[in-house]
Amino acid sequence: MMIGPSALDDVRVLDVSQGIAGPLCAKFLGDYGADVIKIEPPGGECGRRMPPFFQDDPDPEKSLFFLLTNLNKRGVSLNLERPEGAEIFRKLARNVDVIVETFPPGYLASRGLDHASLERENPGLVMTSITPFGQTGPYSSYKGGEIVSYATGGLMSISGLTDREPLKHGGFPGQYEAGLNGALATLVALLIRDMTGAGQHVDVSIQEVLASTLVILQPFYSWTGGVQGRREPEGKLFGNIMPCKDGYFVCQARATAPWDDMASFFGREELKEERFADAEQRGANGREMDEIILDATKERTMAEMFRTASEQFRMLFGIVQTPADLAACPQLDAVGFYQEVDHPVIGKIKVPFRLWNMSAGPARYTRPAPLLGQHNVEVYTEFLKISADEVRRLREGGIV
Amino acid sequence: MAKLPLEGLRIIDISNVFSLPYATGLLADLGAEIIKIEGPGRLDVTRQGAFSGVHPDNQPGPDPWNRTSTYNLLNRGKKSLAVDLSRPEGREVLKDLIRRSDVLMENFSPRVMRSWGLDYPNQIKLKPDLIMVSCSGYGQSGPYSLYPAQATTQEATHGLAHVTGYRGDIPSKAGQSFVDFLATWACFMGTALALRYRHRFKKGLWIDVAMYPLGCYMVSDFILDWEANHRRSERIGNRHPWRAPQGCYRCAGDDQWCAVSVFDDEEWAALCRAIGEPELALTPRFASNGDRMAHHDEIDGIIARWTGRRPKFEVMERLQSAGVRAGAVLDARDLNVDPHLRARGFLENLEFPPERNIGKRGIIGRPWRLTKTPLAVRGPGPTLGQHNREVLQDILGYSDAQYADLERAGIVGTAPTNAKKVAHMDMDERVRQGRLAYWDPDFKQRLGI
Repeated sequence: MMIGPSALDDVRVLDVSQGIAGPLCAKFLGDYGADVIKIEPPGGECGRRMPPFFQDDPDPEKSLFFLLTNLNKRGVSLNLERPEGAEIFRKLARNVDVIVETFPPGYLASRGLDHASLERENPGLVMTSITPFGQTGPYSSYKGGEIVSYATGGLMSISGLTDREPLKHGGFPGQYEAGLNGALATLVALLIRDMTGAGQHVDVSIQEVLASTLVILQPFYSWTGGVQGRREPEGKLFGNIMPCKDGYFVCQARATAPWDDMASFFGREELKEERFADAEQRGANGREMDEIILDATKERTMAEMFRTASEQFRMLFGIVQTPADLAACPQLDAVGFYQEVDHPVIGKIKVPFRLWNMSAGPARYTRPAPLLGQHNVEVYTEFLKISADEVRRLREGGIV
Repeated sequence: MAKLPLEGLRIIDISNVFSLPYATGLLADLGAEIIKIEGPGRLDVTRQGAFSGVHPDNQPGPDPWNRTSTYNLLNRGKKSLAVDLSRPEGREVLKDLIRRSDVLMENFSPRVMRSWGLDYPNQIKLKPDLIMVSCSGYGQSGPYSLYPAQATTQEATHGLAHVTGYRGDIPSKAGQSFVDFLATWACFMGTALALRYRHRFKKGLWIDVAMYPLGCYMVSDFILDWEANHRRSERIGNRHPWRAPQGCYRCAGDDQWCAVSVFDDEEWAALCRAIGEPELALTPRFASNGDRMAHHDEIDGIIARWTGRRPKFEVMERLQSAGVRAGAVLDARDLNVDPHLRARGFLENLEFPPERNIGKRGIIGRPWRLTKTPLAVRGPGPTLGQHNREVLQDILGYSDAQYADLERAGIVGTAPTNAKKVAHMDMDERVRQGRLAYWDPDFKQRLGI
């Protein structure tokens, strides 16, 4: 198949970020054609120390988080704490379109490497900063973390039960979501640069990324003063997560499927009785309805119910899939979600990769995550026009 | 005033609910002309019913479908065309509009545009460099493509519910349609990529965004742990998978909480000092991260004793000043009045025209700032069919007679044919029934609106 051009194949990115959100942001730009150079401190960025590890071996080349978030990048090491390192960074910054960074606000300015300093030598430079609370405001110097973002982003106030503590979502979805926002905001800055020639500083706040999803909760207050809370521990289960033979399911009553059809799906005629005929009555008689449905589903499997409910009854039906289920999902295979990656240390492994499809310029895989300093010679000779010997000298000096 | 980045760009927005309407609302902030298409008998579900939020001051008014909170947040700055696409005459209007537009965005079930002969290959016969963005539950192809989907059921299927829940407990709902917003960002980013592609290569393209793979991507680390190590993940509540301590701790007051997270030994020592128990940092059974993981319950008790006597904002400020990661759990009131978010201008005020009788209301802006391109929401959500005449006559050049014919036939209109009766419930009753945690009768003073 002929591979056509990509939207960003004229863009060079320096990724000096660490963790999840920043590296993902730069990776997304690389997926659409950008040439991404990842810069790590000589000991490697903190993402290399994040579990899970391949075969549970905490080797800096075996972090699967690092693998996921650094596909499609070349990697170099550079010590920004040393003046020579900062000088090299400044030279690299002259030759790129985008810098992605996640340092505490003010750090790059203290090294003379903030956007205002760098744009003097490269007026088209876009710098994208992704931080827990953004570059400005009274909390900007506060430290973050997934649970801190979930708390200050407001999501925890409505997650969990009223008689227990607010509950964050599992894993690191806030970091992933901030990476996606970093990439799209960078694209906006690039579109503007295409028109005006001027770059700018893009300030992404992870707190605001999460708060931006509260499109019901936030204006509820400015419209009426009402504050939504968490769910009551008692009350009907239907519409929430319910157990079945081999796991859990969730089902919503909605116009796509008439209630009588749903009763047929569950195979219980009594659900067609008057006491369950509309939403109000189903609410009032919720406990009895739950009992009937729990009894009707206790010998049924998730896979069978998901297929039958979705295909034959056109119901809104979900099953609680495990990571193992997702690894074997035929729909994810059909949409090209996974990419087989051949990594020099890990070997061949299937990695979540393609977020959506495009008829032209789709996300394309070019290379696995870099080993620490893997492309020092290649990148420094290309960008700084220095010889391999000079790169070796920098390495001996502890600069790279 | 400086030109906005997407000024002059026309986007047809045939969207419903949260995901795509929000994406096009954000594109309106960037200056694009967004023409939102609904049918007089097919209103966006955020105009009425369970997804709509609430009416201003809890007053439905004569046109409740134009007044709901969530609708006006998501559809800010758009134009409204109410045309019945289920009828051939309505689809002729759409075709005329495609000929004069840059982008078409839709979130129908994947069979709808095909059944109308308006899939991408047919649309580019009308407008060769058109960009099309389709947003669906599972995708335009594959075995689940036509399965009904909504965030409440998908958050289970895409794996988030499996890893979300109190420690050792059953899976939990994520709530407030989390996966919809992943699709929002994806549709926005896809459009931006396509615009740059078109700018450089003079060609359009079709983008197929689905909620399901986006949701699955959020649990990629768990999928990889299964692939590489066959590990079955557990629900661990608010704890960190490999660091300790971390939790959400009760503070003074009713339902007040603060999250605390310790990444390393240095932060642990800082926490011990901040809560007035520096000797804990020297206690061998808490010395290393592994030790703290093993004695997590005991540490939780110690932290909770300290936080329980202080308001959540004091807890956050004192811990953060000491170098400890801490975040108060902000509820809807807090988000609306928070001094940090205010200083950053995160919430922006929508000014409604006087005849809409809504006044001034704060809504979410954008989670990022561009230092040289100040952006702002450009106005409230349009009333149903507010721009019918402008779109059909000024943009498409229809005559007065043509317009009158369409109106007479009920193809275009400004009054819904399926208006739902508003089930009015006063605010105190909402609190009594547990639908709200509380409400502030003086919210307008608090907000200064």
